[in-house]
Amino acid sequence: MIELINLKKAFGSRVITNHLDLKVETGEFLAVIGRSGEGKSVLLKQIIGLIHPDEGSVLIDGQDITRLKGKELEKVFKKCGYVFQFAALLDSLNVLENIGIERIEEGAELDDVRPIVIEKLRSVGLQDDVINKFPDELSGGMKKRVGLARTLMLNPEILLYDEPTTGLDPVTTKLIHELIKKTHEKLHATTVVISHDIEIFKYATSVAMLHEGKIIYKGSTKDIWECTNPFVYQFIRGSLEGPIDVELMKRT
Amino acid sequence: MVVSFIDYIGKRVLDFCSGLGDVGVFLYTALETFFTTKLKVRKVFYFMNYIGVTSIGIIFLVGITVGAVLALQSYIGLERFGGSQFVGPIVFLSMTRELGPAFTAIMVTGRAGSAITAEIGSMRITEQIDALQTLCINVHQYLIVPRIVAGTVIMPFLTIFCALFGILSGYFVAVYMLNINPELYMETIRANVELSDITHGLIKSVVFGFLVSLVSTYKGYVTRGGAKGVGIATTQSVVFSNISIFVANYILTCLMFSK
Repeated sequence: MIELINLKKAFGSRVITNHLDLKVETGEFLAVIGRSGEGKSVLLKQIIGLIHPDEGSVLIDGQDITRLKGKELEKVFKKCGYVFQFAALLDSLNVLENIGIERIEEGAELDDVRPIVIEKLRSVGLQDDVINKFPDELSGGMKKRVGLARTLMLNPEILLYDEPTTGLDPVTTKLIHELIKKTHEKLHATTVVISHDIEIFKYATSVAMLHEGKIIYKGSTKDIWECTNPFVYQFIRGSLEGPIDVELMKRT
Repeated sequence: MVVSFIDYIGKRVLDFCSGLGDVGVFLYTALETFFTTKLKVRKVFYFMNYIGVTSIGIIFLVGITVGAVLALQSYIGLERFGGSQFVGPIVFLSMTRELGPAFTAIMVTGRAGSAITAEIGSMRITEQIDALQTLCINVHQYLIVPRIVAGTVIMPFLTIFCALFGILSGYFVAVYMLNINPELYMETIRANVELSDITHGLIKSVVFGFLVSLVSTYKGYVTRGGAKGVGIATTQSVVFSNISIFVANYILTCLMFSK
């Protein structure tokens, strides 16, 4: 279970996460939506400890990671997998080394890692022939699948996806969404997906909307269509009429 | 006007102190990692090859030109006082004590230090370093320590090559262009040079190697702000590495050669 309590993060005078509370139950598949620049990625990076909050707590299975250090923190991190927006594959390593990096760094030989890497590649719908390719030889969708395969090497209990379908065509987007759903069902992992794309509602079990540093809605993906909050109402319908548009007009 | 000037100075001083603190923390973490985790020996050899072998050509060029110029210039000056026989010791001592270590470090900064900063900086802005952290890989053990160790170890070898090329080119200029007696040339070197002149030069090169690789990795590690940020970090890396070489050179010269 992930629990964020009174989380605050600011960069200079700009408050990104403003005393935010959020609970994600074990095994839940949560989609976090919100406008560009609302701080969705910052929120996700605070969960995994890449960004440290100024105030508040991040509880993972009851352990506050903001207070943990060293080996204890590492133990918690090993439960978590993070799939980056642009995959973040190491461009000096081939697919085999990228996916197997954690094992290789622990001292495993490439030949020992190869069968596990092939298994993970197949689980994300890729064939063995990509194993010797470098990231710049892969398409955007393939990179994201390799990124997911690398994360799956940790057998994570918690999976965090940072805008996994950004920059992909509709067919590949559907493919990635299906893959996320399949992975969630297979691992029963607590899954949090940051997305702009409301297509994610078809796959997630619950949805939270981030607005001005706070969660203004959390509920099931079906109930969100009944939500009367004007920001939520406008955002999920992609309407130009409503408070979001008015705010943008004011800013310009 | 005055208040804003004081404000500006104060901000710069605070930024400098904060930056110094950050370097201190980075260095502490690197040293702690070096002493508490297993050194990635294969990576160290890879980077020794990357920094060393690829810099040999430019080190050769710098060594022979500096040695040749040194022989010519010192001959012009010494001949006026009838001391042209001392060209040999001047070239030898200059190359081993000062110019060899300093020029080698400057060349390595431009050739390999900048590349290290650009590489690590690119990894930072494309979230590759974040990815390593999420995979529970010790970033200092994987990225930083092997480069610092390789830079520190390879620099004395490059310095030996630079000094050797310089001394040889100085010999050829003195003997074949300036018609200095080769036996006299060698004899004056033997009479005026001590082993400590060579060892102290090598100690300097070890320190320079450490500083160049520390600054290069640090500037890459803290890169922010996209492609422009990588460019800024690389420029700063070269500038700060060179400044640190000159400052360290003065301090080490005071400590080792002053009587």
